[in-house]
Amino acid sequence: MSFDRTQKPVPTANLEFIPPVIEEIKLNNGLRVFYLYKDKLPLIRLNLMIDAGSKYDPGDKKGLAYLTSLVLDEGADGLNALELSDEFDLLGSNFNVSTDNDSINLSLQCLTENFERSFELFSKVLLNPSFNEDDFNREKKKLITQILQSKDEPEYLADQIFDKIIFGASNQYSFPVIGYEDSVNSINLNDIINHYNNFFSPSNSFLVIVGNTPREQLMLLLNKYLIGFTNSFTKQQLSFNSTSQRKKIFIYNKPGSVQTEIRVGQVTQKRNNKEYFQKLMFNAILGGQFTSRINLNLRERNGYTYGATSRFQYFKETGFFQVATSVAAENTGKALNEILFEISNIKTGITDQELEFAKSSITKKFPMNFETYRQIVSNVSGKILYDLPDDYFETYIDKINHVSKIEVEQAARTSINDAELVVVLVGDKNLIEDKINNLGFDITEVDINGEIIN
Amino acid sequence: MADCVTKSLELVERKKLNHLNLTCTKGKLENGLEYILYQDKSIPLVSVNIWYRVGSAYETKGKTGLAHLFEHMMFQGSENVPKEMHFRYIQEAGGTLNGSTSTDRTNYFEKLPANNFELALWLESDRMGFFLPSLTEEKLNNQKDVVKNERLERYDNQPYGLAWELLITKLYPANHPYSWATIGFLKDIEGYTFNDVKSFFQKYYAPNNASIVIAGDFENDKAVELLRKYFEPIKPFDLNHSIVFQKPELKENILIEHKDNVQLERIYLAWHSDLIYGFNDASLEVAADILSGSKNSRLYKRLVFDLQIAQDVTAFQYSGKFGGHFMIISTARPGVNLNQIKEIIFDEINNLIKDGVTSRELEKSKNGIKANFIYSIQNLDTVADYLNHYNYYLNEPNSFEFDLDRYNKVDKDTLKNAVQLYLTKPYVELRITPKEHNL
Repeated sequence: MSFDRTQKPVPTANLEFIPPVIEEIKLNNGLRVFYLYKDKLPLIRLNLMIDAGSKYDPGDKKGLAYLTSLVLDEGADGLNALELSDEFDLLGSNFNVSTDNDSINLSLQCLTENFERSFELFSKVLLNPSFNEDDFNREKKKLITQILQSKDEPEYLADQIFDKIIFGASNQYSFPVIGYEDSVNSINLNDIINHYNNFFSPSNSFLVIVGNTPREQLMLLLNKYLIGFTNSFTKQQLSFNSTSQRKKIFIYNKPGSVQTEIRVGQVTQKRNNKEYFQKLMFNAILGGQFTSRINLNLRERNGYTYGATSRFQYFKETGFFQVATSVAAENTGKALNEILFEISNIKTGITDQELEFAKSSITKKFPMNFETYRQIVSNVSGKILYDLPDDYFETYIDKINHVSKIEVEQAARTSINDAELVVVLVGDKNLIEDKINNLGFDITEVDINGEIIN
Repeated sequence: MADCVTKSLELVERKKLNHLNLTCTKGKLENGLEYILYQDKSIPLVSVNIWYRVGSAYETKGKTGLAHLFEHMMFQGSENVPKEMHFRYIQEAGGTLNGSTSTDRTNYFEKLPANNFELALWLESDRMGFFLPSLTEEKLNNQKDVVKNERLERYDNQPYGLAWELLITKLYPANHPYSWATIGFLKDIEGYTFNDVKSFFQKYYAPNNASIVIAGDFENDKAVELLRKYFEPIKPFDLNHSIVFQKPELKENILIEHKDNVQLERIYLAWHSDLIYGFNDASLEVAADILSGSKNSRLYKRLVFDLQIAQDVTAFQYSGKFGGHFMIISTARPGVNLNQIKEIIFDEINNLIKDGVTSRELEKSKNGIKANFIYSIQNLDTVADYLNHYNYYLNEPNSFEFDLDRYNKVDKDTLKNAVQLYLTKPYVELRITPKEHNL
């Protein structure tokens, strides 16, 4: 068969993809449930998101929300920690409690044939956690060791120091979710119980559930096992002000590092902002993809790194822009210079071709966001968490297609202010200091928690 | 062309598990390229997944890491695809892509909207058949730098990051294909030449040394037509390579001590074990799960839960075509002596040999394995890779039920015998401890 191999094949007829329609159900106790019937496989996946994340940790008890999630599933309703874990294992069900800055999440994945028993166990953890002193002490000790271990992780250290510096100490997003050694030490079991009582309420949570349990049966189970979920809840006021930074490099000296972790960025808006799609296109062109400007420059042209990316990270109340990479110590200065060049160069304009590429890749990839049960649960959860419009999925592609070149260039200029850019370096100071002296930044040394060393 | 045969399982069991009977079509082009087609029309996507039967085990001493470096080179364009455009075309079409290298094989995969999967076939065939004309010294030097950075970032600069390399270089004898890490030694990476890359391609990247899976929303007839159009013009070549090595055996225990930028001491124990799909492979995997796979597993319960002298413990069976080893790894809490942890590990191994496991432990492990099979096939890329995996090792892509059945057949006796057979032999012990200056 002969054909012209120089010609890239063209797609056949346009694809019709209609995002799944999620039903919202309100239980008698006020809990909002978002449900999708999906019967590709005999499994159920669900996630209960509780607005109880580390942003609520009190000043001297950082790590409280995280430790609460560690202790939460150490026994419930008469089952001790090992018995509870065994019950889930025997069903082949994956139950997990996790914490981030905004939320504590209880998630479950199970075979449909084991759904009722798995959900019953899930409800026991949610409604009747044991909170034993022994379990608390064990998990606390484990967490303090985990904090010690995190000191070995260069990526983790760079991210944590970056958060501290861009947000400033008074912002509730500025500290690590796992807390500090001394702050965790000061947490006692009553703090955990109070955190649970203050936040674990139906009016402060929502449940997303995807799987092949018919609606009627689901309603029976939800009403049967969540009837006792009735705690009331009072909203707390928090501070999310961040202190703006001057153009500065912050170094954390980690002797013996052969690579330098680099983070460059600043505070930006929260997720639900009018320029979201413009910024999405801007970032896709700058550093969001393998073929974006930053990776092509640092990796494919200069060979400084295994990979370099940029992103907008969003939280419920704020967000940041960040370029991240890791380079051999001797290339620290050169790589940083290229990053700064790309950030400033993109403000002088983008090409039509770049914008078309970004739109094409992101809109055509859209169906893939609904492939796995986990993705669907996560996308629906994000939509609720960030208060996105009801028709968000239905209008997603149209909104991207309407973004203009001028709007993207505008977003590039407004979302990054060169005078406020912060650079965080984690590496061997002796190897990198002379590489970064001439970049026009003040250089400040910080400790492992991002506090300035005088 | 033959329909994939389902391996024997009782009828009742079959009915319950029909989600794991992935009916597919297997065939071969005239040039020897094997293909496997699996339809799933639940979402308009198609995954394309190629396995080349070459991995780091096929390298030679002094040129370690070449298979992995080569994987990088395959993304640098081919005769009709300029540098960077392989990535760009797939992403522009809304697809995802990557590749990976292991000891036994190298894979490349794309997932695309269903109306555009021909693009993946064009790209994969262009680099299978027309790679060398576009290869340049400049591209090679760039990717050598990238791979050096990959090694520094993911191994040298990671806490405990060199453990695997330290262990296998002692566990396997110097001529064994598993005695170096897939990433390769830094010195070797620096030394690859243009000719190394060229001859590697000419030795291994033949259509008759590969298999391609197409999975997702497409029609079989159309897929076969396209496979023939793009791949059949590529000439096969004589495959003239074999791996010769002796069955590795340790005469005595080996202790390695290594200082690293870490806070906590960690112990690694490694024994030679069975090959992938060998008689004892599944028993050892279940044993690993019973030792460390859950909160109530034997080692976790004793070391982390009850005594609280370890921060974590992991046991696993690692097996491939040319070798296998069983490993147990545990990190000590501050101030705890690794000897204490080691003693308990051996105590629990002896308990497995002396008293065996309980029915409940077996049931728990098997239920978990079964459920995880179902969970894992949510993603089309995973399904496609499984089909190639089974085809490579078992010559039958639709082997999910066969594979699950291996675990179901593990009983108290097979498990006990497997543990006794392998974990009472000499082992390599690695201890990674903090450097003095590290506080």
